[in-house]
This record gives sequence, structure tokens and C-alpha cells, in this order.
Amino acid sequence: MIKTIANIFGSIGYTCLRFLSQIGNFFIFCITALFWTIRPPWYFKQIFSQIIDIGFFSLPVVGLTTFFSGMVLALQTYSGFSEFNSESTVARVVLTSITRELGPVLTGLMVAGRVGAKMAAEIATMKVTEQIDALGTLGTRPMQYLIAPKLIASIICIPFLVLIGNTIGILGGYIIATYKLNFNSELYLYATLEYLQWIDVIQGLVKAAIFGYIISMLSCYFGYNASRGAEGVGYATTAAVVTSSVMILTSTYIITALFFG
Amino acid sequence: MNTKQTNKKVIEVRNLSKKFDKNIVLQDINFDLCEGESLAIIGASGSGKSVLLKNIIGLLKPDKGSIKINNIETINLSRAKKENLILDLGITFQHGALFDSLKIWENVIFKIQRLKKLSKIDGQKLALDVIKNLGLKAEILNLYPSEISGGMQKRVAIARAICSKPKILLFDEPTSGLDPVTGSVIDELIVNSVKSLGASAITITHDMASVSRIADKVILIDQHKISWVGTPHEMLRSDNLKIQDFIKAINPSLFK
Repeated sequence: MIKTIANIFGSIGYTCLRFLSQIGNFFIFCITALFWTIRPPWYFKQIFSQIIDIGFFSLPVVGLTTFFSGMVLALQTYSGFSEFNSESTVARVVLTSITRELGPVLTGLMVAGRVGAKMAAEIATMKVTEQIDALGTLGTRPMQYLIAPKLIASIICIPFLVLIGNTIGILGGYIIATYKLNFNSELYLYATLEYLQWIDVIQGLVKAAIFGYIISMLSCYFGYNASRGAEGVGYATTAAVVTSSVMILTSTYIITALFFG
Repeated sequence: MNTKQTNKKVIEVRNLSKKFDKNIVLQDINFDLCEGESLAIIGASGSGKSVLLKNIIGLLKPDKGSIKINNIETINLSRAKKENLILDLGITFQHGALFDSLKIWENVIFKIQRLKKLSKIDGQKLALDVIKNLGLKAEILNLYPSEISGGMQKRVAIARAICSKPKILLFDEPTSGLDPVTGSVIDELIVNSVKSLGASAITITHDMASVSRIADKVILIDQHKISWVGTPHEMLRSDNLKIQDFIKAINPSLFK
């Protein structure tokens, strides 16, 4: 009996220590990555290639997601608020929801799913096939060649994606409001512009840049620490996407609380 | 292999020990690699051969012991100095470790391009010169590693290792996963590369046919330690039970 209880506490303790050790390792990884990101040489070809991959090729998925979210938001707001004769607030609700939360969070989640998975799988495969070891023996620091371009590109691209996503999301709301809910087009646009707060947009962009850091760091970290062949690559990819998504939702609350709390 | 051997030690390993958690992998390993010498390290799978190589090239840090390359102690050497030292080595990895996202010519000149800027034309020309000497055709230059066979990948890995004309070459299981004919071709390429560069080489293998073709000296690692040292000729006639068991298990026809 005592042995069983001791085993249970032992397992809990081991899990806690392992978790803390992972956090410590991740923290060191983030600091090291930042250090090598600001130090030359910068691999511009790699950075450009990552910007195309993260920024350009994520546009369709981000555009579609925010477009339909804006449309749904307009419909739901209208159906809910019309009971209180507050239909005129649809433009404001769509604008505020998209710029403050939905734009950055949906973009972050989509990029985590698309780009985070790719980053983790790519680096994990390189790790288990000794390509990262080979890099180190060929006069190239893996952190500078592999991780830094992904970090730089993520921090640059995701705010732009959010800006575009916000615009498309508001457009989605506008289309539903004017073509389905029979709002006056000019009045809707006027209300949207009137309620546009720069602090909302800036807060969304700050979130986006932080999400970029979170996605790239977590994806690279899980990839870089992969082991056990194909199984390890699969684990790294799943862990990168799940952890990035959870961290995006956690950090969006913290940032919102800092800005508006 | 009978290249110009001297007594100058290019790699000295002393009392090297390594363990992962409580699992001892290497214990008190001692050996030297002399200039012009070709050394083969043999041992069963999991005996720690690749771990030994990774300790030498600085990818792992030993728990105890000393590793000198060209008379410079590498343990606790600053990162920048260690990187410079490792640049003097040519290394091939067990599975080739070619970069999937780069074309063959980019893989071959990867190290050179880090040291000096080359135009695309110059880079392709240099890569072509190197791969031609290894019996590869120009057509593969613009292919990706996944588009060529395993044997070709091994040759490209050797090309990448020798492209910068290093004086120390390290090969980790260069013939693993290859058929005997391709394996013997790779062995021949290793012998020729080492000779033409006037280099010293360490080859990690458990292919006994390879050992007899490429090595001047053989080390057997067993139970985490060096259990036998000798020439390939001595190995085949050794009365050491571990050597006999190893040869019988790997290739009974070689045992007399």
C-alpha cells in the first residue's frame, strides 16, 4: 500500500520535474535563438524563402477563415441584437471583434496549423536524419541557418497577415450586412470607419508579432529536440501545433488584459 | 592502404568515457590516428562507435577524457575555435545526411560556399569536378538527394566531405545499406580520396570486407571498451575470441 502511494507520488514528481525541465530548456532555446538571430551572418535567401512560405502561401487560408468569420459574426450579431432593436451596432461589433480578437487569433491558429506543423516536421526530419549534425560540421550554425530565418519571417509576416485578414473579415461582414441584411452600404462603411480605433489595430498587430514568435519558437523547439525516427517527427509536429494553439489562446488573454484590463 | 604514414598524431583520444543517464556507452577509450593512417573502428551495433565519432567531432561532449585534433585539445575549447577546428575535417554521416532542400551541386559545395562566395557557375563547375572523380555524372548536379539512389547519395556525401580538401576524413558506416558491389565501389572511392588528399581517415563500420580494403589499423570496441587493436591481416588470424566471434558473426567466409 505504502509502496503504491510512494510510486504515485514518485510519478507525479517525475512528471512535474520533467515539465519544469522542458520549460527551462525551451527558455534557453528561445534566448539562444534570439541571440543568433541578431548576430550576423544573416541568411537572406533563407529569410526570403520563409517570408514567401509563411506570408504569401498562408494568405488563402487566412483570407478564407477571416472572410467567413466576418460573415458569421455579422449574421449572429444581427440575429441576437435585433431582439433589442440594436441592429445598428452590427458594424461596430464586427469591427471590434475582428480587429481585437478574431483577426489575430484565427490568423495565429491557421498559421500554427499550416506553418508550425511544416517547420516542426522539417526540422525534426533534419534532426533524425543527422542533417542538423552535418550542418554543424560544415561551418554553419544550425540556429542561424535554420531557426533564425523562420523566427524573423514569422515576426514580420504574421502582422501583415493579420492586417490583410482584418480587412477581409470586415469585408465579409460588410457583404452580409449590405446584401443579405439590407443595411445601407454607405452608412455601414461610415459606421465601420467611425468606430475604427487605432489602439485595436495596434493591439492586434502586437498580438500577431507575439504569435509569430510563439509559433516559430515552439515549432522549431519541438523539431530540434525530436528523436526516435518517424515516430519522433510525428510527435514533434503534433506537439508543435497543439502547444502553439494553446499558447496563442493563453497569450491573447494576457495581452488583452494588458491593453484593456 | 599504404599511404605516406608518419608518426605525427593528428587525433589523440585519451581515457574517453561517455554515458547517457546511467547507461555507459564508452569507457576509457584510448587510441591515436597518425598522419596518413587509415583506421577502422569496428564493433557490434550499439557498441558506441558512432557515439565515439560524435565525441571526436564535438557533437557530443565526453564525460571524461581528452581529445586532441592536430595537437589542440578540443574538450572545453571555445565554440568559435572548435568550429574552426572542425572545418578542417571531412565527415560523412551514416545515412548521408544530404540536405533535402538543396540540389546535389549545392550540397557538394556547401562548406566551400560558407568559406568563400562562389557564383552559381563556379559552384557548379567545382561540384562537377569533384563528383566526376567519384564516378558520378553531370546530370545529377541539378537533382535533389531524394531523386538519386542510396549508393549515389553515399558518393555525394563523400564528395561533400572531400570538396574542401581536408586532411582528416571521418566516415560513419559508409557502406551500410548498400549491396556488396556498390559497397566495394564506395570503399575504393574512400581509399582513392584518402590517398589523393594525403589525408588520415577514421572509418566506423561493421563490414569486414570494407575493413580489409580500406584500413591500415583496426580497433574493436566491445563492452564499451577497446578490446583489440591490430592490422586487418592480424585480425583475420587473431586468436582473440571476441575478434573471432565478431568475424564469424559478420562474415564467416573471411574467418580462417
